[in-house]
Amino acid sequence: MSLKRMIAILGAFYLVMGVLPIFTGSADHLNILTMILIWAVVASCWDVIMGFAGILSFGQVAFYVIGAYASAILSVSHGISPLVSIPLAGCITGVFGIIVGLPCLKLAGHYVALVTFALHMVLVPFLRGPLGRAIGSGGAQGILTVPPIELFGYAFNADTLVPFFYLTLVLTIIFTLVLVAVIKSHWGQAFLVIKDSEQFASSLGVCSYKYKLMVFALTSFITGFFGALYAHYVGMLSTKMLSMDVFTLLMIMMVVGGIGKYPGVVIAAAITVTINQLLAPLGMYRPQIMGAIVILLVLTLRGGIVGIFEKFLSSRPEGGISLGR
Amino acid sequence: MKKDRMSILLSVVTTVLVFMHSAVFAADATIKIGVPLAMTGAYAGSGDNYWKGITMAVDEINENGGLLGKQIEIVRFDSQEFAPETVMQGANYLCGEKKVSAVHAGWAGWGQDVRAYGKFDVPFFCDDGAEPAVNVYKSNPEKYSNIYFLTDTGKNQGKSMFNMLKSLPYDFPNKKIVIINTDDTWGMEVGETLEDNFKEMGWRVAMHETVPYGINEWGPILTKIRRIRPAIIHVEIPSAQEVVTFFNQFSKHPTKSILSYGWGITPLEVLSSLGKDADGIIGEMPAGMPASPAPNAACKGWLDKYHALYKHDLPAGSWIAYTGVMLWADAVAKVGDENNFAAINKHIREAGYEGLQGKVMFGENNTLHGQKGAPIVHYQVQDGRLKALATDPPFAPYGGNTFQVPRWIKK
Repeated sequence: MSLKRMIAILGAFYLVMGVLPIFTGSADHLNILTMILIWAVVASCWDVIMGFAGILSFGQVAFYVIGAYASAILSVSHGISPLVSIPLAGCITGVFGIIVGLPCLKLAGHYVALVTFALHMVLVPFLRGPLGRAIGSGGAQGILTVPPIELFGYAFNADTLVPFFYLTLVLTIIFTLVLVAVIKSHWGQAFLVIKDSEQFASSLGVCSYKYKLMVFALTSFITGFFGALYAHYVGMLSTKMLSMDVFTLLMIMMVVGGIGKYPGVVIAAAITVTINQLLAPLGMYRPQIMGAIVILLVLTLRGGIVGIFEKFLSSRPEGGISLGR
Repeated sequence: MKKDRMSILLSVVTTVLVFMHSAVFAADATIKIGVPLAMTGAYAGSGDNYWKGITMAVDEINENGGLLGKQIEIVRFDSQEFAPETVMQGANYLCGEKKVSAVHAGWAGWGQDVRAYGKFDVPFFCDDGAEPAVNVYKSNPEKYSNIYFLTDTGKNQGKSMFNMLKSLPYDFPNKKIVIINTDDTWGMEVGETLEDNFKEMGWRVAMHETVPYGINEWGPILTKIRRIRPAIIHVEIPSAQEVVTFFNQFSKHPTKSILSYGWGITPLEVLSSLGKDADGIIGEMPAGMPASPAPNAACKGWLDKYHALYKHDLPAGSWIAYTGVMLWADAVAKVGDENNFAAINKHIREAGYEGLQGKVMFGENNTLHGQKGAPIVHYQVQDGRLKALATDPPFAPYGGNTFQVPRWIKK
């Protein structure tokens, strides 16, 4: 997808998101809109690492939770202002991303998935166990008193939904631009080449080691940053964040958006979070319907939502490199 | 042409986003109550038990002409596995969007729910049964005055379990106990309470294991247990598959130990899977209704009705969820306005409710501590069913039922 079209879609999307609070004062709707923004960035990061760099990483929710807990612990146990703890949490998560990324560079395909998912799996016992409690994770009960973000004398959290929504919107747009810049820069081209053929990439002088490590660091930093933002938004954390339900929701966003079909995943975040919320009263039918949607999409439209747009918007092949497979 | 396509694209995106803005209008002639329960995921089983009690109460009220002349309408929300944003979404959806007049939940997030629903004034009834949830309440009692805990904390329930175990009419062969609990707030609270109390009594806690949910292979732990030969094994896991597999593997080479399952005896699947094989296991139900016999004719009628409706014995959660709806409805009827939350909350706190077993009063921290009207009930499985041995407080034997030494000890 061309940069112009990508920017147009994202611009339209965030414009619509930006005006929606004007038409709804409902706390429920504002909460959904805020969560759409947060998930949009987290899912985008996953798309960059999996869809563009071709690294089968399943550690996205874990990075999100690391960021959330890092900022919560820094602010609750050490009294650091959320304005500092949030970027710090991003950095901590970025370091974790590098630590996880290092062994992954020696591995391929499914083994990377296993290593990254192992991070997800060990987080629950770590955070609930004595080590987690020692660093201030709150153990099994979690952290229930994460302070709001204080800015210019105003508190930003779930009690002040409109200001928090716009704060999140601004941050989302900034990080979205960063991701677009990465995707459309020579880094993004390098990711694609590495994904298609690592040997070919090496012959072109593209150092896969460097780029893979970089994509781990960047995406985990941004994911951790938004995890931290989430922590100060909801004001409470628990290891329930690592439930398969959350993981599955994120995966559905990827499938609906189309893996490697950025910015499909951004629109998919809106669709998935909304449908998931609308189906909440249906109980057991919710995961069944969500599952049916995924099966239908995988069978009929592997390009996800962007596949529909691409078919609809242009009948002729677009110039430039084709993103995704 | 390109502009037209772009505008259509924008319309599609806008339509999708506006779709979620659409509200479902319900008739004003009903009183809406929110019911956020785990309908999917690991806690769906207990969610279903609460649901049965809540619907039974609502159906009864509606069949008798409704509340203030209006029918009660249930608005459900799937709390899934209590991720923080899901708990918060439930609160915003039910209280903010659907404008319900009360929220009746079961397990609802161990403290996260207190924060989420404490933003509103709507009476919120939960069964968190955990100290951290109460601690959130204690942090700002005024703000959280609409929160009601339908069962006592894990700590107090653990203390009651200790009272039951030490009071068993049985000569323990030694003073060794093994405690196994889950790694969640509930399990750890009960496990630590038992450990402290048994140590204080001069017993040795020979092993205290904290295990994750989903454990089905008990070989290594059972090997240690068989070496220790404890007088008591207490397993505090509020999930059926773990306790069922533990028992199946334990019974292959049992030690001569009293097997105590705490709350873990009450999920329906435990007895439906184990049947009479489970005879001898001890357990408890907070804010329960003892049986058999039922405490009085009204309770017997209620239990018979429950059995006729759902074709099984009473699991944990159903009766107290039923009582939660009834005591709220009673307060609304007395106040005369389902949305006068301040008056309703004041009435609930000050007047309590005359329940099937007696007066029910919320005590310190808006918690329904164990009391005569909603006792902690201690059971033993006998003939494949839960038989109440004692109620607490005050701790007293119940209904002439007697403790039976488990068959694996008699051998």
